[in-house]
Amino acid sequence: MSKSILLHYFPMRLKTFISLVLLSFFLCSGISLTADSSQDDSEEFVEDHSHADIQRGERFFKGFLPITRDFESCVSCHNIYKSDTLNWNPSAMDIAVKFAGKDFSEFQSAVMEPDGVKMEASHKDFKIEEVDLKKVKLYLDDLALTGPSPTGPTITQIMLFILLGLLITFALLDLIFFHKIRYRVVSVLILVVALGFQVKMVATAAIDLGRSQNYEPDQPIKFSHKIHAGQNKIDCKYCHFTVENSKSAGIPPMDLCLNCHTLVREGTRSGKFEIAKVIEANEKQMPVEWIRVHSLPDHVFFSHAQHVNAGKLDCIECHGDVIEMDVIRQVQDLSMGWCIDCHRTKEVQFANNNFYESYEKLHEQIKSGKINKVTVDMIGGTDCMKCHY
Amino acid sequence: MTEKYYKSMDDLIYDARKASSEPEAGDRKSILQMKQESKSDNSSRRDFLKLFGFTVASAAIAASCKMPVKKAIPFLIQPENIIPGEASYFASTFFDGIDYSSILVKVRDGRPIKIEGNTLSPVTFGGTNARTQASVLGLYDNKRHKNPSFEGKEITWEEADGKILPLLDSIKIRGGKVVILSSTIISPSTKSAIQEFIAAYPGAEHIQYDVLSASGILKANEKTFGQAFIPSYNFGNAELIVSFDADFLGTWLSPVEYTKQYMKNRRLTDGQKTMSRLIYFEGGMSLTGSNADERYQIRPSHEKIIIADLYNELKRLNGQQTATVPASPVDVKSVAAGLFDKKGKSLVVSGSNDVETQLLVNAINELLGNYGSSIYTDVHLKLRQGNDDDMERLVNEMESGKVEGLILYDVNPAYDYPQAEKFVKALKNIQLKVSIPILAEETSEHVHYVCPDHHYLEAWNDAEIKSGSYSLAQPAIRPIFKTRAAQESLLKWAGNPIDFHTYIRNFWEKNIFPLSEGETSFENFWNSKLHDGVFVTGKKENKVPTYSGESAETVLAQITSRSGNDSIELSLYSNVSIGTGKHANNPWLQELPDPVTKICWDNYAAVSPKWAEEMGFEDAQLITINDFGPIPVVIQPGQEYKTISVALGYGRPNMGAPSETVGKNAFPLVQTKNGTKQYWLGDVKIEKVPGEYQLARTQTHHSMEGRSLIRETTLDQYLANPASGNEMREELKKHLKSLYEQKKFDGFHWGMAIDLNSCTGCNACVVSCSAENNVPVVGREQVIKAREMHWIRIDRYYKGDPNNPEVVRQPVMCQHCDNAPCENVCPVAATTHSNEGVNQMAYNRCIGTRYCNNNCPYKVRRFNFYDYTGADALQGNKKDPTEMTTDLRRLVLNPDVTVRAKGVIEKCSFCMQRIQEKKLTAKNENRQLKDGELVPACAQACPADAIVFGDLNNKESRISKFFADERNYHLLEELHTLPSVGYLTRVKNKSI
Repeated sequence: MSKSILLHYFPMRLKTFISLVLLSFFLCSGISLTADSSQDDSEEFVEDHSHADIQRGERFFKGFLPITRDFESCVSCHNIYKSDTLNWNPSAMDIAVKFAGKDFSEFQSAVMEPDGVKMEASHKDFKIEEVDLKKVKLYLDDLALTGPSPTGPTITQIMLFILLGLLITFALLDLIFFHKIRYRVVSVLILVVALGFQVKMVATAAIDLGRSQNYEPDQPIKFSHKIHAGQNKIDCKYCHFTVENSKSAGIPPMDLCLNCHTLVREGTRSGKFEIAKVIEANEKQMPVEWIRVHSLPDHVFFSHAQHVNAGKLDCIECHGDVIEMDVIRQVQDLSMGWCIDCHRTKEVQFANNNFYESYEKLHEQIKSGKINKVTVDMIGGTDCMKCHY
Repeated sequence: MTEKYYKSMDDLIYDARKASSEPEAGDRKSILQMKQESKSDNSSRRDFLKLFGFTVASAAIAASCKMPVKKAIPFLIQPENIIPGEASYFASTFFDGIDYSSILVKVRDGRPIKIEGNTLSPVTFGGTNARTQASVLGLYDNKRHKNPSFEGKEITWEEADGKILPLLDSIKIRGGKVVILSSTIISPSTKSAIQEFIAAYPGAEHIQYDVLSASGILKANEKTFGQAFIPSYNFGNAELIVSFDADFLGTWLSPVEYTKQYMKNRRLTDGQKTMSRLIYFEGGMSLTGSNADERYQIRPSHEKIIIADLYNELKRLNGQQTATVPASPVDVKSVAAGLFDKKGKSLVVSGSNDVETQLLVNAINELLGNYGSSIYTDVHLKLRQGNDDDMERLVNEMESGKVEGLILYDVNPAYDYPQAEKFVKALKNIQLKVSIPILAEETSEHVHYVCPDHHYLEAWNDAEIKSGSYSLAQPAIRPIFKTRAAQESLLKWAGNPIDFHTYIRNFWEKNIFPLSEGETSFENFWNSKLHDGVFVTGKKENKVPTYSGESAETVLAQITSRSGNDSIELSLYSNVSIGTGKHANNPWLQELPDPVTKICWDNYAAVSPKWAEEMGFEDAQLITINDFGPIPVVIQPGQEYKTISVALGYGRPNMGAPSETVGKNAFPLVQTKNGTKQYWLGDVKIEKVPGEYQLARTQTHHSMEGRSLIRETTLDQYLANPASGNEMREELKKHLKSLYEQKKFDGFHWGMAIDLNSCTGCNACVVSCSAENNVPVVGREQVIKAREMHWIRIDRYYKGDPNNPEVVRQPVMCQHCDNAPCENVCPVAATTHSNEGVNQMAYNRCIGTRYCNNNCPYKVRRFNFYDYTGADALQGNKKDPTEMTTDLRRLVLNPDVTVRAKGVIEKCSFCMQRIQEKKLTAKNENRQLKDGELVPACAQACPADAIVFGDLNNKESRISKFFADERNYHLLEELHTLPSVGYLTRVKNKSI
């Protein structure tokens, strides 16, 4: 019964409703579109070269020019920017930055007279006119200057949110004033579902606020933990050597890299490009600015020394299988719930550390068999002021 | 408790009104005032709505934003002994021309963030005072000179040297005179650098100028011993101390050292059964005076006569011929008898800068045989070496054009010289004026070249505080600004372009290394002394001068009648926070309540209650004193009738607060008499000025409603019954019952005990706590609204006759009650009890209901009405009256303690970060915690060792022994809050 009525009445209402929704949708996207296009209009001149030259260089890089070619285009190996997929070859941006202050001949020799096993193999059949290569350099110089073009924000979430908002508004208006939908329950249903969905969106966003699980940013150097810690079996503590004595595990100082990389100058996959950055950093006395992945808020006081040295935890337990990661990723959400869960289940090094002698009662209980292990929460591991002070 | 305690005159009047059921007009007035003030603040409901809207909007924006990208930048080459995230400590020396302390500088990730006392020092024994504690903030002072300049324009060091050197040369060729004017210099290597300068410019002179002069002592000793020096005192060797306004626990000469000595002989813990006795004569109410066992109020002009009378009486007791001396206004017979009884075990000191007074004091000490037992003439204190004559002569020579070049090294006479105008005018006659300031000061405005020195935390230095007691200072940070060591500048101008580090090493190798014993090489010697920070040779001064008493006898014979009681007398003093005003731009010190009046952010004229009643004065009434003022009146119990006390060191424009002058400058009132500066003057004219000026006072809030908070007894009673004064504790214990089982703590149960007998109220703990725990500075206006944030406060109560009361003090911080009233009322469980007995506060959980604050019987919780430290994401929440949110100032923040934002409660955490740190150290070293290993910031700073902290579960610990002491009691223990903080009763050594 209700179904037939819905079918009967709904289309008419729905039509107006949908048209309104669509109208607002187009309005919004129209605004964002005009905003986007306005950014591209500005014409830029780099020194004496016109925008056209730079564009030509870009086409060469991207493989649109020369029209006939029997070798691979630059872009087939080099991404324009850093991307989600791991590409061991330096991106156009990387190359642009490296050669920004250098003259053409240096760039030319780097491209045309490849150095090192990896590059020799890939640049083997590379043929390009000098004039054209100059254009490519121009394009790269411009890229270094202007930086990556702005990427538009993902509007799907916001649009969905607004759409739901409109639905709620219409449902409310109908409930109070119009009464066009015969069965109130429909409006109420729309209202409740839409509102519920909105609340869920907000809640999810709010909980995620300040958290960064699965954060996996591109680092300034394509440093692979998989190669260093996995294949080469370097101990974590070789580089993160303050982990047992300090709150911070420490980012290895630049000269520590040179312990190996004075000899190891070329990688099997990245060639010389990435390792050269380490050497250059030491020569120029400018440390590499890594992107921090694991970061706790300022009001949390976490000590690596406590967990690794006193607590005898393995790095893996919080940082995941780092030896399998080319790009370091935050595996756990590092939320308080996650901390507390562990504190409730993890056993303390009770018998092995003389410090815990002070807990006489717990020792008695172990002796009498009342408890068989002491977890962190039993010695105050869930107290606020263990981590917040 | 039959005795009545009160916190202020208001309190007393309030109680009197309540007794006579009069309406509480006073209280209503203050509430009304508050309302009016809040109206004039222009914050209304609409503002709230606006802000609310803004908050929602910004939250929405924040939610749609991405996480900010954080960088992790490693060292290029990591220094071997620096671990990111862990603090390093460097031994150093604090000396600012006035105070000395051997210290450890805590450095976190390249920034000095805290000063701790150096326990290896044989002079200060790990004690510090408020100014030492606060000095770290001076490093991050926005008003420091940031580069060399010429008439206000920035220049480079090369330019400065390039211009100064030829000018110095031309003066040399002409045979002109160059003068280096400095405060007292205790650094042997700096003295040597100055000597090199003088050698390079014949006719050059070095003059030391002390703002707080001890010329009186220097000159008196010259007369009696033939040598101008300040002897070394040991207050710990004296069983009876008589002090005539020598505030040796607060500001006199070397107060940290004296507090350590004095308290050693006052403690009744660890089985000690004897106590020294302190008799104090003064006009105002000083820190030491308020701690005295017996206190006499006198007029400043009467001091000399009383001392003469005392000397005469002692002579009579000693069977010597007496002189005719006008009668003393107070009866000194009992004091004299007491002193005579303790011959050789007593000490008489006077804070006066009058030579004749000091001559009489010397004569008394000689008669009593105190030289050699509590005063040492063969060990000299090297502080306050400035002679007032020299400065006066310099100003006259400047006026007459005799001086052609003047180098001002760390002095500010344009502000603190009594005849500052004369000095500034005389400056105009000088062709080359160079100033070498460390902190911001006024004199630099009147010179050609400003060549700023490093802050002491950025510089190499050394010190010889007493004969044979050396200490070293080393840089704890690279110079923040384009500054250069003063010694380096002087040496460069003397034609010796050497860096001061090399110079000081060479100096030590040549002069001080030979004094050491058993050191294999200078390298080893240098490294070990740099590590320790101190080096003691035990060497004494060569000739031990013999006493000659003729001059004292002449003084005694010449003493004439005293002035009457009708004129008004003014005494000028320096307080424990601002002192001479050198650190006026240090907000921690400005906000530090005076130990007696509990007023901060201003100076004022303290008057006696009796006189105030006669004159119709009320608190905050403005008056002028001669030409000085207008200054607000404060009615001060214990102030002598018809005398006024005013603090020096205030009234520096734009210092302390960005565009305000804090207080009034009283230095122009200092007068020179008989060749020495006198810090009092008689026959002043006062005039009422219409209007009031509200002072920021922390004492009228946190009133404890007259409950028995401080328990005290006398030594005799204590010896008869150790629990005397504390009898009610046993009685109360019987009644303490609860429905709930008392909490038991397995593992640790932290506790703190405060020996009220040791605490002097010097305030070092308050500043130390602020530095350690990022406690915000709120500014004058907020303090008036009772919104100060100090986690530890020192309550002060008066007892007895308001015109001559006794004073008792009590430091109060969070009591960490095991039955905490605050914990039950928090709706969000932001404050809970830890399993180590600590009342914990989670700032990020707090929503700011302030229920806990209301329910706390001790009123130790503090609410952030604004964001005072720049922690808040929202700019509108910020309130920054003292520039504490600037990037430079924020460098002082302790990264181990959360910086609180607006709208949360905070309070003492027992220095949880320190507890956690030490626990971890013990775990990593596979051992149990040691007793005494955990030292909270307040206990670390305390020069009197009044605070003990430790584990109550450990029955062998010092804290357990303190808690088991019969003197121990808890604040408001009748409420059954079961505090983890205990107090030991105060014992006065007085006859009843």
